Amino acid sequence: MSLPATVSALRDTVLRMFPHRAVPGLIPVGTPGPDSPVLLTCSFTLTLRRLQRVLAGRNVWLLAADTHGINVWCAAGGGYLTHHEVIAAIRSTGIEELVDHRELILPQLAATGVEPRRVRQATGWESRWGPARLEDLPAYLDRGRRTTRRDRRMRFPLWERLEMASMWAVWTALGGGALFALLGGWRTGVGVVISVLLTVGAVFAALPRLVVTGHRRWLTYGAFAILGTGIGAAVMLLLGAPTPRNLALQAVASVLAMAVLSIDLAGTTPWYPSTINTFRNFAHIDLEPERCTFAGDCVQVCPAEVLRLDGPTRKVVIARPDACLQCGACIVQCPSDALRFRYPDGRIIPPAAIRSTRMNMLGRRTVTVEGHDPAVTPGSSDTPA
Amino acid sequence: MSSFVFMKVLESAPRRYDRGMNLLFLGRMEQLHEAIAAEVAAPGRRILDLGCGTGGVALASARRGATVTGIDTNPQMLEIARAKPLPPGAPPVEWLELGATEIEDAFPPESFHAVTASLVLSELGPLEQAYALRTARSRLRPGGVLVIADEIVPAASLRRLAWWAGRLPLVCLTYLLTQTTTRALEDPGGLVRAAGFAEIHERRFGRGTVVLLTARRGEAGP
Repeated sequence: MSLPATVSALRDTVLRMFPHRAVPGLIPVGTPGPDSPVLLTCSFTLTLRRLQRVLAGRNVWLLAADTHGINVWCAAGGGYLTHHEVIAAIRSTGIEELVDHRELILPQLAATGVEPRRVRQATGWESRWGPARLEDLPAYLDRGRRTTRRDRRMRFPLWERLEMASMWAVWTALGGGALFALLGGWRTGVGVVISVLLTVGAVFAALPRLVVTGHRRWLTYGAFAILGTGIGAAVMLLLGAPTPRNLALQAVASVLAMAVLSIDLAGTTPWYPSTINTFRNFAHIDLEPERCTFAGDCVQVCPAEVLRLDGPTRKVVIARPDACLQCGACIVQCPSDALRFRYPDGRIIPPAAIRSTRMNMLGRRTVTVEGHDPAVTPGSSDTPA
Repeated sequence: MSSFVFMKVLESAPRRYDRGMNLLFLGRMEQLHEAIAAEVAAPGRRILDLGCGTGGVALASARRGATVTGIDTNPQMLEIARAKPLPPGAPPVEWLELGATEIEDAFPPESFHAVTASLVLSELGPLEQAYALRTARSRLRPGGVLVIADEIVPAASLRRLAWWAGRLPLVCLTYLLTQTTTRALEDPGGLVRAAGFAEIHERRFGRGTVVLLTARRGEAGP
């Protein structure tokens, strides 16, 4: 990689919590022709760079929808990647004149936002779900555009966990380092930088085995704050400044670093619902079996294998309710509106409300109890036939 | 893997949109809506408001007696627009969840006397801008009017620098309070001309950072 490319890659990685917008449109990879596959994606620079790297040596069309520089999953969850953006991408890029087929491969994680039925109605394009992770695209294309169970389940390998750690750690370390250098001198600052980078990295490396949800998550953060204090103290010892004041500052810095991380560690992973998004507002996925037609769309789009098709009853089963991320993809995609969210107090959010507000709903929603609910506007009634 | 910053931003955006926009435009948002409506709205005229958001321009036109259809891709914005009152006698506004590249799905050619687009074009990528303007033109009757209001970046580099310096504090403050911001257009006149419009007039609004552009679909030609 050239120096400017490396710098951009680093910038995009540590700044990945902010949108970074590439020019949306059609991006040819290799020399695609009329029968080459068309892959829909977002306009987040990091995603586009990775896609081009993973697909190098192949001939495909990348159709970058204008998601305002937000990645596929977040954009789909936040209403920035819906059928509107897909229709806009198909029409405005002129892709229809470049290919002789009408099949769009959608990233599985777009399922929270994009309704293929509406894309078909407006453009005649059929959609097919691709894998959840872009690394699996080459194998997916080689096996004839079919996903496997492994493709559908979100993984979070160590290298990616450390990348996500850098998003938290770099800024906390730099900010904390500067602050504590002012308070206690440069040695204190160096100690804080090293302890923050190492402890946040250690949290992410150990993540699948840590408790990061529920009340017991505070034990996790406490343990890592102690570890951070230890690392800080060791650095102070090495630099010859283990004064009581410096050691106390290291302890304070470690507690602050864990406090920052606790804002939304869970939401930085594909394993847990974001604590910010669901703040005191946990919803559960709820199935109305009598409406289920065994279509299987929900199983196809679930990134956490929550749902399973049950052959004998020809119904869907909520097999792993505790693994649900509350992304709502299954609800948005169910052709017979058999799935919905239910709050512990019994309130229900119907599928139409989830389709029109998506994940935004999990925070402050305009939705009240089903039955006497003037706030809910079914999305479909707005759309002309 | 929802990063909290995005989610917080997205979640609160529609609700705080009006407040944020007013702050960013130093309280002149309503004046802008009225200025746009004054260009095109009159009883009996059919108007399409692209990217209507929370309904400012569409409602200003309806208050002047025009029959308005407001379209936007954000159902939450439309919900807020729908809840805003209109004075008695004003024709009701039709609100539709549609994007600027979906006009052709809902309206036949030559459906409208005017198309308005306030702070919308700058939100779209270049290809979508061109496509939306071409389709909007085809939905206008011969002689129909297009009105665009958008922020504009000064062309000269020194003035551009001053523009950024003056804008930055306001953008930061607005973003902190409401997680809303706007983008700016570089050459709205050129965009509109490329889409086949004629009689293009631009004037400045506010402190000169917003351009109010009117253009006409010629009498002849498709």
